[in-house]
Amino acid sequence: MLQILIQGLLLSGLYALIAVGFTMIFSIGRVLNLSYGSSLMVGGYTYFYFSQTLGIPKLAGLAVAAVAGCLMGLLVFRLIVKTLEGSHVAIEISTLILAVVVQAAIVLLFGDSSKILLPIIPGVVWVSGAAVTYNILAAMLAGWAVLAGLHFYVRATHTGRAMSAVSMDLKGAAISGIEPDRINMITWGLSGALGAVAGVFFASYTQLSPSMWVAPLIISVAVVIVGGIGSIVGTLIVAHIIGFMEVIVTAWIAPELRGVFTMLLIICVLILRPQGLFGRAEL
Amino acid sequence: MAVRGRHLALWGLFMAGGLLLPLLVDTGIIGRGTLRTIIMANFLAIFAMSWDVLSGRTGYISFGHPFLIGIGAYTTAILTRRFDVAVEYSIPIAVLVTMIGGAVLFIPALRIRGSYFALVTLAFMELVYQLVQVIRPDLTGGTRGMSGIVTLTKGAVQGYYLSFTLMALLGFFLWLLMKTRLGTALSAIGMNEDSVAGSGLNTTRLKLVAFMLGAFAAGLGGAFYVHYLGSIAPRALFDINFVFTIIVAALIGGAATITGPIFGAFFLTFLLEYLRPVLPGAERYLIYGGIALLVYMYQPGGLHKILEVGLERLRKRANP
Amino acid sequence: MPDIKGGYNMNITRAFLSAAVAVALGSGAHAEVKVGFIGSLSSDTGLSTLRGAEMAIEELNAAGGVLGGQKITLVTADTGEDVTEGIKAYEYLAETEEVDFVISGSIDDVSLGWLPRMQEYRIPTLDTWTSYIGIIDMVVEDPEGMAPYFMNIASDEALATLYINFGADVLKAKMGFESVVILAEDTAFGGAITGLVTDALAPVAGIAVNDIITYDINTVDFAPIFAKAKASGADFIYLVSSVNSQVVSSQYVKLQVPMVMTGINVAALGIEYWEDTGGAGGGISTLSPVPSVGFPLDPVSADFVERYQGKYSTRPKVPHFNGFNAYHGLKQAMAAAEEAGGFDDASAWSRAMLGQDMILEKDGKLWLRYGFWQHGEVEPVTGRTYPQNARFDLEPPFDTAQPSMVVIQWQEDGSVGVVYPPEYANMEFTVPSWVR
Repeated sequence: MLQILIQGLLLSGLYALIAVGFTMIFSIGRVLNLSYGSSLMVGGYTYFYFSQTLGIPKLAGLAVAAVAGCLMGLLVFRLIVKTLEGSHVAIEISTLILAVVVQAAIVLLFGDSSKILLPIIPGVVWVSGAAVTYNILAAMLAGWAVLAGLHFYVRATHTGRAMSAVSMDLKGAAISGIEPDRINMITWGLSGALGAVAGVFFASYTQLSPSMWVAPLIISVAVVIVGGIGSIVGTLIVAHIIGFMEVIVTAWIAPELRGVFTMLLIICVLILRPQGLFGRAEL
Repeated sequence: MAVRGRHLALWGLFMAGGLLLPLLVDTGIIGRGTLRTIIMANFLAIFAMSWDVLSGRTGYISFGHPFLIGIGAYTTAILTRRFDVAVEYSIPIAVLVTMIGGAVLFIPALRIRGSYFALVTLAFMELVYQLVQVIRPDLTGGTRGMSGIVTLTKGAVQGYYLSFTLMALLGFFLWLLMKTRLGTALSAIGMNEDSVAGSGLNTTRLKLVAFMLGAFAAGLGGAFYVHYLGSIAPRALFDINFVFTIIVAALIGGAATITGPIFGAFFLTFLLEYLRPVLPGAERYLIYGGIALLVYMYQPGGLHKILEVGLERLRKRANP
Repeated sequence: MPDIKGGYNMNITRAFLSAAVAVALGSGAHAEVKVGFIGSLSSDTGLSTLRGAEMAIEELNAAGGVLGGQKITLVTADTGEDVTEGIKAYEYLAETEEVDFVISGSIDDVSLGWLPRMQEYRIPTLDTWTSYIGIIDMVVEDPEGMAPYFMNIASDEALATLYINFGADVLKAKMGFESVVILAEDTAFGGAITGLVTDALAPVAGIAVNDIITYDINTVDFAPIFAKAKASGADFIYLVSSVNSQVVSSQYVKLQVPMVMTGINVAALGIEYWEDTGGAGGGISTLSPVPSVGFPLDPVSADFVERYQGKYSTRPKVPHFNGFNAYHGLKQAMAAAEEAGGFDDASAWSRAMLGQDMILEKDGKLWLRYGFWQHGEVEPVTGRTYPQNARFDLEPPFDTAQPSMVVIQWQEDGSVGVVYPPEYANMEFTVPSWVR
């Protein structure tokens, strides 16, 4: 029981970290950035190249990865979202194509083979039958820290409040003197950077491979759908629902059905309560 | 838009040209390999048209089209391989089962639209992908899929005739259908569903027709596809890259036009095949995806629209 | 063997050059024998076969060509490890390139995809990686239709059978393990191997199977699964993993799971495993088809590896077993064509290929043998036939052929060696330092 609690908390923290960048974009523009998984992948590979291949310090590697993710977010916004202003379907399809292009680029640069990232913080401790690596502990803490930081940022800073305003009502925000473009730029850049950092943790937990973008995208989508239009607190709660569900299915029901339950949850929520469990909420 | 004689003549020309094409193989102008490429393009065209009927007009974007194709393909594969059912029965049954699948996909469309609908279709595809591997692997072949499924044709020429006939007839039928008031109404749903409902039309019934037609085409295409390939593997079928290829073919060609997806399917298939000798490895997909992205970003209306605009310009230049 | 995600750094210039060379060669002289390669061009698996074939072709051409002085040319078709792409690739080789012979480095699923095409075109084809026993069953059922197909790696059943002996001789007799928990991926491969192992472990090796845990191949977090394995009370974990194997093995090391884990771990078969896991892969042992990493080589194969390393600078630095299979197998296919008067009559070629037999010796002892099981010839240990499959030996002293597999182990210092069978071993099986 305690073991499930520990493992559930750890995995959920990682999922919250993964999903938050995706939620932000969805919240502010109601648009699904299907290349979000690629931000994680770019982050993971950048970190791998700088830290593990070139051997720069891990924190610096993490920073470089965040910058790469941020740049990617900004470029996607400038080149795709801005150009296709207005059409959600077009943006979703373009970002999906982009994800496939990025995948091909990664194969070209790093090859097809999976790579394993060394733990960012090595070490392990066993607590009542559950192994806890310091690495996943760090991922969970980072997840909470990022979410708490964002929550504070949105509430307490001028830019954050502007974001919140845009996510509630674009026209209203524009009338009250907020430049939606600038807010969008900041959001996309921030989302990319967060995605990249999440990617480093995700990859250090699983592996780096050119198709690794799909799984975090599905996790993010699940969180957004189940939670409804993403609020930060909602993201945290739903990440825990999904994380705990996975751990419980793995431990008590059947490990091979792990993915089936997540998909069923998504479909049921979409059909029975399309607005999500928490409905419409501002960022 | 009314059906014009000019359009019918073009369709006739297209079909006649298509059926005469294999004769060129004997003269050595085109190779058998080219026919194989066209076969793949034909099947992709069927899938893209199916997507176009379901999503292109109504705006209910399906990100899980392999869900439908897979139902058709797996049904006939299981029936023929495991229960020795004759193809004459298994394919119609597969199409029917796919239409039931289309009805299942229709349930969420009653309540949600837009991005949410796109996501639920993606979830459906993932769910089937997972289930196929876990539930009754003795029937589905599990992760490895099935091999040794009966093929309907031998060799490139036969395969070409079958796939081309299927594609051209299906295309013509759907094209005619979309020229009727049904097509107009479906397009209107895509633009503004509420106002269509407001004008007294039953949007639920209209959407159901679109879903049934789309599922019909997907089931037919999927069933013939698996009997062409002779094998089926879940990893290649319920794959986000396959979704990508279908949607991109429809959009690059020009959504909501039926002829556009055919163009798009041929353009993409040939692009990928012609890159093969030059770039045998992963670069091929980079270039291919890059071109798809550029064309789509330049003109979301696709090649169809680019062609239309180009012709319009030429005409203006000719008669200023 | 099933899916392995191996790879290398593709260099654009190199790719352009090789493509240009292929085009230039393709439009060259008329009297030529055309070989088609089918497999992934961006995985270690595919490249091992491709390069093995390239080197064999170079040698044969330098020696004056084959079939009355004809030069051999090689064309490639990438599968990207995708089934549909594999079918298209086979069609491309058969119809656009009209190759005489196909050498395949495809993974199991992809081979199964293009097999119907092979039966249709009847092009002599040699598979160097796929080990699916179902294909050999097809040969048994339909010898005429499958005549052009040869598989020169020992099939799954042979691999699993010998692995059971490792359980009896080492895990039970030496380590004193009494019970096992099987940790198998949820794939057809996982299911098949689990079935073979579960049926045989108790009666043959006297090891009780406490529990079987099947896991989803996209599992992110193995902590609950390892906790479950530990709770089963078994002495060790038997892993069956062919897809994303690095994840489960690196989490085993990172989590320092306090149980021995052995089994099948496809990722650990290549020399790049250590680099790919960043060193987080010590203690892992796996079944490995021969010639494997860590496997002492006979002089002929050692010379092949040395020239391989002089020629290729990108990964895989040492070819996988299928690279050796392609190198020797391609030469045998050409020799069979010499006997049969070419590749056109697939049945005649098939008969000649069945008769190919090459023995490589090390220190005066049979070390590797490239030959094939004949139709109707019963293998004594498993009691079944393996027509057109690579010849193997399942009983010591391994004097009719090499064993179907060896067990290799990666040590925590990054060295790797063979721990079983004793005739081929150069290292002791050890327990990871954190397991007490």
